[in-house]
Amino acid sequence: MWFKSIYLKTLRDYRIAILGWGAGMGLLMYVVLVAVPSLVTTAAARAALVSLGGTFSWIAEPIALGTPGGYVTWKYGLTLLVIAIWPLMACSRLLRGEEERGSLDALLSLPRGRGRVALEKLAAVWTALLLMGLLIALLAFAGGKSASADFGLFDALLFGLNVALICGVFGSLALLLSQFTQERGTASGLTGGLLLVFIVLDMVHRVIPNTEWISRLSPVYYYNLSKPLVPASSYGVPSSSYGTNPGGLLVLLALSVLLSGAAVWLFARRDVGGTVALPRWLRLPERAVRPERALPVNAWSLRSVYTRSLGMIAVPTFWWTLVIAGFAGWMVVVVKQIEAQMTSLYASSPLLKEEITKVGGGDLATNATILSFLFVFLPLLLMAFAVTQANRWSADEEDGRLELVLSTPQPRLRVLLGRFAALTTATVIIGVLTLAATALASAATGLQLDGGNLAAATLSIIPLGLLVAAIGYLLSGWLRTAVDTGLLSFLLVIWFFISFIGPDLNWSDATLRLSAFYYYGTPLLHGLPLLNMLGVLAVSIVALALASVRFVRKDIGR
Amino acid sequence: MTAIIEVDSLTKRYGSKRGIIDVSFQVEEGEVFGFLGPNGAGKTTTIRLLMALLRADAGKARIAGLDVWQQSVEIKRLIGYLPGELSLDPNLTGGQILEYFGHLRGGIDQVYLKQLIARLDCDPSRKFRQYSSGNKRKIGLIQAFMHRPRLLILDEPTNGLDPLNQQEFDRMVKEVRDEGRTVFLSSHILSEVEQTCTRVAIIREGQLVRVGDVAEVKDIKRHEITITFANAVPTEAFKTLDGVAQVERLSDGQTLRLTMQGGADAVIKAAAQHAVVSLTSHEPSLEDIFLRYYEGDGLAVKEASHVV
Repeated sequence: MWFKSIYLKTLRDYRIAILGWGAGMGLLMYVVLVAVPSLVTTAAARAALVSLGGTFSWIAEPIALGTPGGYVTWKYGLTLLVIAIWPLMACSRLLRGEEERGSLDALLSLPRGRGRVALEKLAAVWTALLLMGLLIALLAFAGGKSASADFGLFDALLFGLNVALICGVFGSLALLLSQFTQERGTASGLTGGLLLVFIVLDMVHRVIPNTEWISRLSPVYYYNLSKPLVPASSYGVPSSSYGTNPGGLLVLLALSVLLSGAAVWLFARRDVGGTVALPRWLRLPERAVRPERALPVNAWSLRSVYTRSLGMIAVPTFWWTLVIAGFAGWMVVVVKQIEAQMTSLYASSPLLKEEITKVGGGDLATNATILSFLFVFLPLLLMAFAVTQANRWSADEEDGRLELVLSTPQPRLRVLLGRFAALTTATVIIGVLTLAATALASAATGLQLDGGNLAAATLSIIPLGLLVAAIGYLLSGWLRTAVDTGLLSFLLVIWFFISFIGPDLNWSDATLRLSAFYYYGTPLLHGLPLLNMLGVLAVSIVALALASVRFVRKDIGR
Repeated sequence: MTAIIEVDSLTKRYGSKRGIIDVSFQVEEGEVFGFLGPNGAGKTTTIRLLMALLRADAGKARIAGLDVWQQSVEIKRLIGYLPGELSLDPNLTGGQILEYFGHLRGGIDQVYLKQLIARLDCDPSRKFRQYSSGNKRKIGLIQAFMHRPRLLILDEPTNGLDPLNQQEFDRMVKEVRDEGRTVFLSSHILSEVEQTCTRVAIIREGQLVRVGDVAEVKDIKRHEITITFANAVPTEAFKTLDGVAQVERLSDGQTLRLTMQGGADAVIKAAAQHAVVSLTSHEPSLEDIFLRYYEGDGLAVKEASHVV
């Protein structure tokens, strides 16, 4: 059945993603919705939460925060955009990925027009997105039921549809950009960058008055117009303000159709394997090298496996450093502004106080407490970076790129350790630059932070990144790239749930210890958890040693 | 001459699927050895075992007296390798790729490298992903030859090369042989092996079916003699003669095609009893030998018949 058409075959390829992303994000919604009533047990707690929401309004518009639907929309509406990563990667790969592999030539030799091939594939992406939206909607509805929320199944379905539509916009954007790039990775990277830019653009009008026109340039603005889990009738507000905004949904749909349509139109007219020609002023200058001068190259990055690996990882390291160090610096800047509201909230919401106490470190009297709570996202980001690099190692072996390297007199162990050493160098650079960014932000804002603890908080993310990378290298000894990356990502999600949702659900300390985030501790308040870090390093070394033993003995396969 | 490659009862399975079974052969130093077989016969598996990219389930293989698995690093100092499917970083230029592999091999002679680039008419300034399949193959060949290895292991080296570059490749192989170095190449193009190699091994369904000199392998196959008579001659007159394996009458009714195994003396004498218009004898090609080994195997014959 699945091989009867391009549509069905493509949909089959997405079956794990549909379940993984849909159920994963849906479960997040479910768990948070279930936990909301215990967060706001008193009127004072609700008032404090509303106050906190006002302070964090740059994240999302705080509407009806005291209700499950309002709270989850405010807190996780933006987080849910993480799911847009899937369509932007899938759509970059949709045509360009097949061109890179050379498989599109065979597909286009079938008696089908190019437009139809592209549309069948696109239809599969949209089906996958709608199924993900459905899973999210059903789980959100189930969570809402448990929390006695006042939104119904239809509202939950509209919530899922809104998520599917914004994902569709970024998928369509990636598809369009991939018509202009030689590689799918470039299209993914550009779309990812635009996703961040659009999120920031949407934030502008919530921070700076009278700038709504700027935010209207962002698709995320139209996504945030709809708040289906905050039914309009319940809060005595004008009905046009909340609930589902049909105009917003239509704009997202129109954008998707427009971008996808342009992409398919261009695809039908360009060379397969080529790109759409840009106007001269938009083209990057070509470095014309005469063949006879192409050698010797004398590039530093070509001297060994280690330097070559460093050269390969340099660009992603730059972008991830920007994200991680930028996030840390930004958190330092904003944290001073929210201290008063947070103190008030602690006083009135025992559960939130407990959660912050567990995750942030318990010293409620200082700015460092809040910052410590927010800094828990730093290892998460670095671990995500490590997942991408472990994926690259595995993919290089699977694609046969190690075959010629291993035909040179380089021991297998040196090849593996050279790659891992480059990754270690990159994580250390990210850690050090994150320390520099936070120290500068601290000095600029006048926020008093202990220098030693700040160094501990930023540098102790390094062992956690290495842990994930080592586990990824180990798994790649047996598993295919897709499974390896999927398992590693799943592990991160599980750890995230244990550390961030576990305290809400009063899970035992023994359970919380199962998460790697647990060992990061609260270094900003209590300094370097030396034993924990040594433990993480020891596990990383064991995992790397096992990965090395496996790699040295295994068949190098395609 | 001493053996530079010694393969003894080498076996490799992929789970329940066959790889190669009990393969044994030797390659002498200084010879050009052809490894023939259709797709999926086990050529690449054998080569990847020699390169220590796969680990054998049973048997041994030695190169220059060294165990291919235990002493693979030492062995790779002696080898230039071209894989069947070349996969390299698409963002590097040909020049960067060659420089990188030059460094990994501890440095190479830049003058010789530039000669190779010129001989194969390769442009090293382009990115790997911009190359055609033939140009990618050239980069692979240059990196295999550039450090003047004692042994070249080439998996289907001329795939994608145009005739001019194939000729240049043949010349490069002959130069290597003249310098006393060894070439082990796999192919399913029989005429190429016939032209280039001194000895040949034929592998079928993971098992070696024949090893020998190219000339020796030719000798075991059947001759074909086609005789056109002035009048129709009964086939029975030739069927029972010494050396005749099969007789077939062609559509014109006056021509007989005889498949021979052995001397043609009896046939010539019998033909002289009749008025002969023409007589031709076909020198066997490796294609013929190749097809013979696959007789009775419909699928294999079909594959082999596509071989040019």
